Amino acid sequence: MVNPLYPYDLLKSIVQLSTTPLPTHVRLDRMLQSISAAFQLDRCLLLRPEKIIEDGFLSRLASEKKPLWVEEGSSFRKENVLPEEEGLLCPTFACIPLYDGTSFQGMLYIGLSKPYHFSPQEVELLLLMGEAMVGAIRNDHLHQKAEETISELTALYEMGKAVASTLKLGNLFQLIVATGLKILKAKGGVLRVEDKKTRELEVKWSVGDYHQSPLDEKIAKRVFYTQTPLSFNPPGEENPSFSMLCAPFLSKGKILGTLAFYDKDSDSSKFNERDFQLLLIITNQLSFAIENALTHYEISNMAQENEKRVAQLSSLWEFNKALLTTVNFERILQLTLTAITIGEGLKFNRAMLFLVNEKNRTLEGAMAVGPDSAEEAGRIWAALSQRKGTLSDQITQLNPQGYSALNVIVKGIQISLEQKQCILSRTVLEGKPFNIQSSQSKEGGIRTQCERGCHLSSEVGCYVGEHLSRDPKVYSFATVPLMGKGGIIGVILVDNLYNQNPITEEDIHFLSMFSNQAGLAIENAILYRNLEEVHQELKETQNLLIQREKMVALGELSNSIAHEIKNPLVSIGGFARRLYRVIPDDAMEKRYTQTIMVEVARLEKILTDIFNYTHDESIAFKECDLRKILEDSLSMTQSRIDAGGVKLVKEFPEEIPQIHGDYHQLRQVFSNLINNAYQSMKGQGILSLRLHSIAKNGASYVRVEVEDTGGGIDPQNLHNIFNPFYTTKDSSLGLGLPIVHKIVTSHRGQIEVDNQPGTGVNFIITLPASEKGREDRLKGPEADQ
Amino acid sequence: MKKILVVDDEESIRFLYKEELEEEGYIVECAKNGKEALEKLAAFQPDLISLDIKMPVMDGIEALKRIREKERHLPIILCSAYGEYKQDLTTWASDAYVVKCADLTNFKSIIRKLLRLS
Repeated sequence: MVNPLYPYDLLKSIVQLSTTPLPTHVRLDRMLQSISAAFQLDRCLLLRPEKIIEDGFLSRLASEKKPLWVEEGSSFRKENVLPEEEGLLCPTFACIPLYDGTSFQGMLYIGLSKPYHFSPQEVELLLLMGEAMVGAIRNDHLHQKAEETISELTALYEMGKAVASTLKLGNLFQLIVATGLKILKAKGGVLRVEDKKTRELEVKWSVGDYHQSPLDEKIAKRVFYTQTPLSFNPPGEENPSFSMLCAPFLSKGKILGTLAFYDKDSDSSKFNERDFQLLLIITNQLSFAIENALTHYEISNMAQENEKRVAQLSSLWEFNKALLTTVNFERILQLTLTAITIGEGLKFNRAMLFLVNEKNRTLEGAMAVGPDSAEEAGRIWAALSQRKGTLSDQITQLNPQGYSALNVIVKGIQISLEQKQCILSRTVLEGKPFNIQSSQSKEGGIRTQCERGCHLSSEVGCYVGEHLSRDPKVYSFATVPLMGKGGIIGVILVDNLYNQNPITEEDIHFLSMFSNQAGLAIENAILYRNLEEVHQELKETQNLLIQREKMVALGELSNSIAHEIKNPLVSIGGFARRLYRVIPDDAMEKRYTQTIMVEVARLEKILTDIFNYTHDESIAFKECDLRKILEDSLSMTQSRIDAGGVKLVKEFPEEIPQIHGDYHQLRQVFSNLINNAYQSMKGQGILSLRLHSIAKNGASYVRVEVEDTGGGIDPQNLHNIFNPFYTTKDSSLGLGLPIVHKIVTSHRGQIEVDNQPGTGVNFIITLPASEKGREDRLKGPEADQ
Repeated sequence: MKKILVVDDEESIRFLYKEELEEEGYIVECAKNGKEALEKLAAFQPDLISLDIKMPVMDGIEALKRIREKERHLPIILCSAYGEYKQDLTTWASDAYVVKCADLTNFKSIIRKLLRLS
């Protein structure tokens, strides 16, 4: 060796290197350089344990824990040397195994290309160098371990802090993945949690696009179902581009989900055992937190849902209370539909109510509530959000419905219950709710089964959908039957045309619940309305009876008077005639007796009229043709009309149903009316006779109009025209119209007076068509075919 | 000379009918109710009876029944102030039903018809 001072220099540089804050590999490198320089070595290496090939001579040395000195004069058997190790065989070399207590840390190798003999001091010095290097390696290990423990602790602390900071599931998942990424220095992570309802693993948070790889899902499922963590590094490659760790979240033996991390974000892209352990610690620590958060989330969801339902129920209760306070049909319908559409209620965009008409077997639109357009909807909703006062205040202040196009449309709808394809009919016939969501087809527009394009899957004849369609992308609607005590009394149709919200089963459930209440209220209102109508009818009948009784009394009185007067009148008249015959034509007495005769004749006529009015003539009801009766009634006046300036207009249709009545009585009716009309016009005007058949409430009627242009009736007298003995004509007794009225009434008919003072008057008589006449009419079209 | 029995409770009517019918050339006898008419029937032997319906003691309907029991073919004219008995089936047993009127033209022509004088 060259420099006699080298042991000192070497020791000094090694001590200095031991205390520098350089990274361990740099320090070891410098140490090797110092040794190499001091001993003027050709080669000086530190062989790490992983570089030592098994079964070679180096591994034998390592297991023997003894240094090897090959120098001038010593022998070295080459039999154990592997081909890879042959490069190490210099003329002079030494191998010093580095042991830290029991674990092997590597091999210090020095080589010289010339023969040399190590002095005992040099051997000692080299062994010392070996120990110094072991110390450096051990320190580094300790340091590394301490750092790792600190980072682990920090990670767990951070994780704990993160988990404690939030109960919001989304935030929690995000924090877990972010913190995991930091701890494991991974490039990406995926967190999955099992959905309680679908039992599917769902990605709740991910960083990177690893969750899109099918392998990720496969591994996550495997981990989930086996409840066993997995470290996955595809084998065979030196530097795999793909490395993952996946561990289950287990809490009290229950599996909640999985947490996976991908690809180390450092020089080595592979996760090691320590990362794996770290992940297990993380998942173990966090399972509990996730379970808590999930439970909290569920409970708060339930609480929210309950709160919503309680609010809904209490508003429905308010509406029910309001329903109980009224029997007004219109108000009940309006309350019902408002409850269905109002924000505090069931929140549907529009609601329409149809009632069953049992007699005609049809569904008839009763009322609708809802905006006519999306713009209007927006306006109403904006106004509602500004509204003040409690719900019950608003209910009390609910105004009667104004004009709404929807309401008008719905009120005009009539659907036969025989149309079994129509969803509205089906709701009644099957007695169950329907919830339907139709979405737009590829061609645009909503697919529908109805030929007319109705979205309610109805057949021809139903126009509901036609009016409803505004070509929405998605059209959700639902129907529920309206239950009364005895069965289904109608249907409520709701939709979300404007906001296109889907209708849930829960909504239908609430709607049904409410419509059952509303059904009873509506039924009660209908019953009440019927009761009122019957009451009104009874009152009218009672008045009529009182009137009749009076008339009977008057009739009896006039009858006996008429009898008492008749006989004297006949003899007065008779003797007057006798006188008239004997008095010479030129005598004044001739005129006196003539006056007596004429006046007696008039009195006789009056008495006969009174008698006819007060006496119920037995009448013969037969099938009659009103056309013939009118023609016959005209015959008496016809000649006068033909002669004078009165124009006669007749409107008689070809087909007119027969009526059941007495020919003579009816002839008297129309003769009276025609005569009155003729006289009122004083020889100048238009007399119109019109005849037509009409249908009212499912029954058929014949209507006759006798109209004149005779200036009409003085409104003052109008209410008296049907009273006996009331007349404005000098020549009339005033029994004509009362007789007309009596006969029409006895024919179950109606008489109306359309009086236009200054112009004329139109008498409108409506008589029920006979059953036979109606049948004939029904049979008519078939016979034509 | 045909004989006519006029039955009426009204004095003035009896007087009028008697005057008018005698002028026509009939022999006229009067009775003021059904009972009196029945009593006079056998003695007078009328060819025709004019019978008022509404009368005290015995009315025209009752008298009609009684007379028909004896005289099946004797022409009988029922008279009343109005047509109030038209629906009464018993009036069918008479040969005519006449509503009283100051103008007796119709009444007289019915009599002539029943007595086959025209």
